[in-house]
Amino acid sequence: MIGQAVRRAAGRRIAPASGPDRGDSALLQTRGLTKVFRSDGTRGGGGRGAAVSAVRGVDLRVTLGEFVAVMGPSGSGKSTLLHLIGGLEPVTSGEIWLQGQRVDRLSQAAWAKLRRRHVGFVFQFFNLVSNMTVADNVELSALLSGATRRQAAQRREQLLAELGLTGKANAAPARLSGGEQQRVALARALANQPTLLLADEPTGNLDSSNTADVLRLLGRLNGRGQSILLVTHDARAASLADRVIHLFDGMVADDAPLLPQQPPKAAGSVVRLRG
Amino acid sequence: MLAVLRWIRSDLRARAAQAVVTVLVVAGVVAALLLSATLLEGATNPWRGLFAQTHGAQIWLRLTPQADVAPLARISGVAAVAGPYATAAATLVQGPAQAPVQLRAMTPAMPSVGRPLVRQGAWLRASDSSGVVLEASFAQAVRAAPGTRLVIDGLDGNSVQVRVAGIADTSDQGFYPDQTPGLVWVLPGLLRRVEPIARHTEEAVGLRVADPGAAGLIVQQAVTELGASDVVSVRTWTQVEQSMARGDPLPGLLLALFGLVALGAAVIAIANATGARVLVQLEDLATLKMLGFSPAQVIGVVLAENAALGVAGTAAGLVTARLLAGPLLQGIPPSVVTALAPLPAGWVALIAGGTEFAVIVAAAVPGWRAGRVRPVIAIRHPPPSGHLSRLARAALLSRLPPAVVLGTRAAFLRRLPAALTVGGLAVSMAMITIGLGFAATVDDVQHHPADIGLAAALTVSPGQLSAAQALSIIASDRDVAADYPSVRADALLPGETTTITTLGMGDSARPYPFHVVQGRTYRAPGEAVASQGLLDALHLQVGELVRMAIGGVPVIFRIVGRIIEPEYGGQVLGYGIDTLSQAGAAVPPVSYSLVLRRGVTADAAAAHLLAASGGRLSVAEATDPASQLGAVRMMLAGLIVVLALIGLTSLFTASAVGLRDQLRDVGALRAMGLTPMQLTTALVTSTSVLALIAVGAGAAAGLSLSSRLINLAAQAYGIGAGIGRPPSTAAMVVAIAAAVAVSGLTATIPARRLARMPVAAALEP
Repeated sequence: MIGQAVRRAAGRRIAPASGPDRGDSALLQTRGLTKVFRSDGTRGGGGRGAAVSAVRGVDLRVTLGEFVAVMGPSGSGKSTLLHLIGGLEPVTSGEIWLQGQRVDRLSQAAWAKLRRRHVGFVFQFFNLVSNMTVADNVELSALLSGATRRQAAQRREQLLAELGLTGKANAAPARLSGGEQQRVALARALANQPTLLLADEPTGNLDSSNTADVLRLLGRLNGRGQSILLVTHDARAASLADRVIHLFDGMVADDAPLLPQQPPKAAGSVVRLRG
Repeated sequence: MLAVLRWIRSDLRARAAQAVVTVLVVAGVVAALLLSATLLEGATNPWRGLFAQTHGAQIWLRLTPQADVAPLARISGVAAVAGPYATAAATLVQGPAQAPVQLRAMTPAMPSVGRPLVRQGAWLRASDSSGVVLEASFAQAVRAAPGTRLVIDGLDGNSVQVRVAGIADTSDQGFYPDQTPGLVWVLPGLLRRVEPIARHTEEAVGLRVADPGAAGLIVQQAVTELGASDVVSVRTWTQVEQSMARGDPLPGLLLALFGLVALGAAVIAIANATGARVLVQLEDLATLKMLGFSPAQVIGVVLAENAALGVAGTAAGLVTARLLAGPLLQGIPPSVVTALAPLPAGWVALIAGGTEFAVIVAAAVPGWRAGRVRPVIAIRHPPPSGHLSRLARAALLSRLPPAVVLGTRAAFLRRLPAALTVGGLAVSMAMITIGLGFAATVDDVQHHPADIGLAAALTVSPGQLSAAQALSIIASDRDVAADYPSVRADALLPGETTTITTLGMGDSARPYPFHVVQGRTYRAPGEAVASQGLLDALHLQVGELVRMAIGGVPVIFRIVGRIIEPEYGGQVLGYGIDTLSQAGAAVPPVSYSLVLRRGVTADAAAAHLLAASGGRLSVAEATDPASQLGAVRMMLAGLIVVLALIGLTSLFTASAVGLRDQLRDVGALRAMGLTPMQLTTALVTSTSVLALIAVGAGAAAGLSLSSRLINLAAQAYGIGAGIGRPPSTAAMVVAIAAAVAVSGLTATIPARRLARMPVAAALEP
C-alpha cells in the first residue's frame, strides 16, 4: 500500500538506510528528526543568518489505530513537527518511516502523490478553498486520487451526512460557522480514507460547544480504527488520546500513554503511575 | 485531471468579471489582426488573383489605327498577343452625370489572353446590338447594374443608346476612378456607330510575356519594332498592380502594426493579471499542494486556465472578424478593394495559434511561481517590508496627508507588479494617443482637403460648349472661388518603359495651389513640382532636372518643389500649361479645376453649374481620399476600445495586488486611528498613483510619436510626409481624465468595503 506508493513515487531511488523496528505494527516512525530554519529564508544546513532549530532530534512512533496527542507551549515546534511528518516541509536531518518505507527524502511531487492517498490534514484555520463550494472542497481530494465523478459525489454525500452537514453541500465556506467549516475540513481530510490523520490545533479557533462536537467526531473516528496524530494545547483534546507526547523547545520532554478513564471504585484506590 | 478541471471551473466562476475582460481583450486583438491581414491580403494581391483568373497580359499598348501588330508576335519572350482591339474615347451619360470612358471593341467569343471575368449579367452577344459590358469598379462608381440604360456620346457628337448587359473584372488596368477613363466593352458595330471616323480610334494590343521581369525590355523592343510614332501609350503590369493596390496598404499596415503592438500590450497585461491572481491565491494554491497536487499539476492548473481563456478569446475573435469583414467592405470604396476574400487558412492558423501561444507564455512566469509555492499555509507571503524610506518620512513630516503618503508608498511595495502595471497602462495610453492622432489627421483631411493636395473639388470640361462659354459660366458662378485651366498629359519616361501622369495646372504666372511641403511651387516655364512617389521612383531630388516625352515631344523640367498628392499612385508631376506650349508639345483638351468657396459642397456647386449651362457642361467631382480613410476611423475606434480593455486589465491587477497587501495592515491602521475616509484614500491612492504615472508617460510618448509615425506611413505610401497632425487637445484631456477616473473607481469600491468593516473584524487574521 504505502510501500507501493512510495516505490512508484520515488522510482526505486530510496533504499532503507536503516530499517524500522521490525516486529511491531508501527504506522509512523521518526528517528532523530531535525528541522532548522534560517532567518534569511533558506532552509537549514549552511548559509548565513541566525539558525532556529524548531525540531531537535525527535523520535516518535505511532502504531496502527493509535490516537497520539502532541502538546507543548507555543514555539515548542509542534506544528513544525506535523508539517515534517506530512511532507509539507523538507526535513533537515533524520528519518521518517511510513509503514516501513522511508519517506523523508521524497521529492515534492512524490510527497504530493503520497499525501493524496495516505495522509489527511486538518488545520486550526480550516484552510478551505475559498472559491469552491463545500461539495467541491470535499470532492477535490477524491477526484485527485483518481475517483470518478460519481464515486467522488457518493463519498462526499456519505461524509457530509455522517458529519451532520447534509444541507450545506452548495454553500460557500465563508458563509458557514467555524464549527461547520472545521467539519467540512474533516470531511475533506477523510475523503480518501487516509492511513494517518494529522490534525494541527483543530479546535483552536472554535467555541466550546463546537470544540466538543469536533472532539467527539475525532473520538468516534479513532474508535473505528483511524490513526490520528493530534497537535494541541487544549488538555481536553489531549485527554481523548491513547498517548500524549510533550514537546519543549523542539525536543520530546515526555511520552506517556494515558490510562483509560476508570470510574473511582472506592476511596483509597491507588493510581498506578507508569514511567 | 478531473480535479484540475474542477478547480479551473470554480476559479473562473469566482473571478468571472476579470475572466470576461481577458476574453474580450484576446478577442479584440485577434479580430484586429485578422481584419488587418484580410485588408492587407485584399490590398496587396487583387491584381495577382485577377491576372491569374483572366489569363491576362502584362503589357498593354495603345497604338495608332494604322499600326501593324504582326511583328509583335515575333518578339522573343512574347507568349501570346491579345487583340488588336479597336478603341475609342467617348463620354457616358447617365442623366445629368457624365463620365469619360474608353470603348473597346471585342467579339462575343472570349479571347484566350486577357479574358474579362464576368461577375454579373452576361458577356456581349451578337444578337444584342446595343448591349455593353462595364468594368466592375467603373460600374460601381456610376452605380450601373445589368439592365441600366445609358447613353454614350462620341467625341463628334454621335449619341447611342445602350443597355448594360453585364459587369466584368479585368486585370488590364487599375480601378476606376484612379485609372480613367472607365473601360466599356462593346461590339465592333457599336463602336463604329459611336465613332465612325477611323482615325479617331486607336488600337489596344496586349502582350502576354513568359518572364514578367523582362517586360521593360520587351516594351522597348516593341516600341522599336512599331516605331515610336505609332505608340500612344504603354502600360505594364507593375503599374496596374500598384494602381490596384494603391490606397490599401495604408489602412492594412496601420492596423497590422496596431494589432501587433496591441498583442504585446495584451501579453503584458495578461501576465500581470495572472501574476496578481496567483499572488492573491497563494493560500489556496498551498492548500492544493497540501491535498496532493504535485508542483507540475499546480503549474498546469495556471497554464490550463489561461489557455482556456485564450481559446475562448481566439474563437470569439475569429467570429467577430468574420462578422465585421462585410461591414468593413462597405466602408471602403470599391476602387480601393473590390472584394475581401477570406484569408488563406495558413494566415488564420498563424494568427490564432500565435495569439494562443502568446497568452500561454504570458502565464508562464506566474505559473512557475505557483509551482514553487510551499504547501505550508501558515505563512502568508507578505510583501517585502522594511523601514519607511527617507522620502516617505520627509513627506509625513512635511504635513502631507498621511493617507496619501501611505497609499503612495504602498503602490511601490512590490516592484515588478508596479513596473508591469505602469508599463502596460503606458503602452495602452500611448497607442490610444497615436490613434487619436490618426483620427485628427483624418478629420483634418476631410475638412481641409487643400492640405492634402485636393484644393479643387470639381473638374469641369466644356463638353458641348466652347471654352469661352464655359469660362463665362464658371466666372459668373458665385460658389467658385478660383478656377485653373488644367490638362492631363501622359508622359513617356526616359527608357520609355512606363508612362506617368503629368498635370499642367494653371500657368507659371498663376500656379495651381498644390500643397508644397518642400521647396517652392513653379514660377516659370520649365519648372515643375513632383510628388514623393515620383521622386522615389525616378531617384530624383528637388532641384534636379528630368526629361520626358509628352506627346512625342521631349520636354525638360526642373523639379523645384515636392508636393503632397494622394492620387495617381502618388506619382505625379505638376507644372504650368505654358511649359507645354513653350516646348512645342501639343496641349491636350483643357478642363478647369475649380476651387470652391469655403462651406460650399461639391454637390451643390455641381448642380448650379449644370443648371446654368443647361446640362451641357461636363462636371466631375474630384475623388476624396478621406473616404478611403473613413473605414480606418471605424477600425481605430474598435482598437481604442481594445486598448482601453487592456488598460482596464492592468488596473484591476494593480488594485487586486494593492488591496491584498494592504489588507493585513488595514486593521492595525484603523486601530491606530486612521478614519475610514483616510483608509479609503490610502487604498485608492495606491492604484491612482500608478495610473497617473502611466497615463502621463503614455500620453507624452504618444504625442511625440504620433505625427512622426503618420508622416512615416504617408511617406512610405507615396503621399509624402507632412500630413501628420497631433491629437486634438480636447480628445487628450478626455482620454486622460477618463483613465484617471476609471483607475480611481476600480479601487474605490473594494476600498470602501474594507474601510467600513468593523475594526475588530479587520484585525482578525
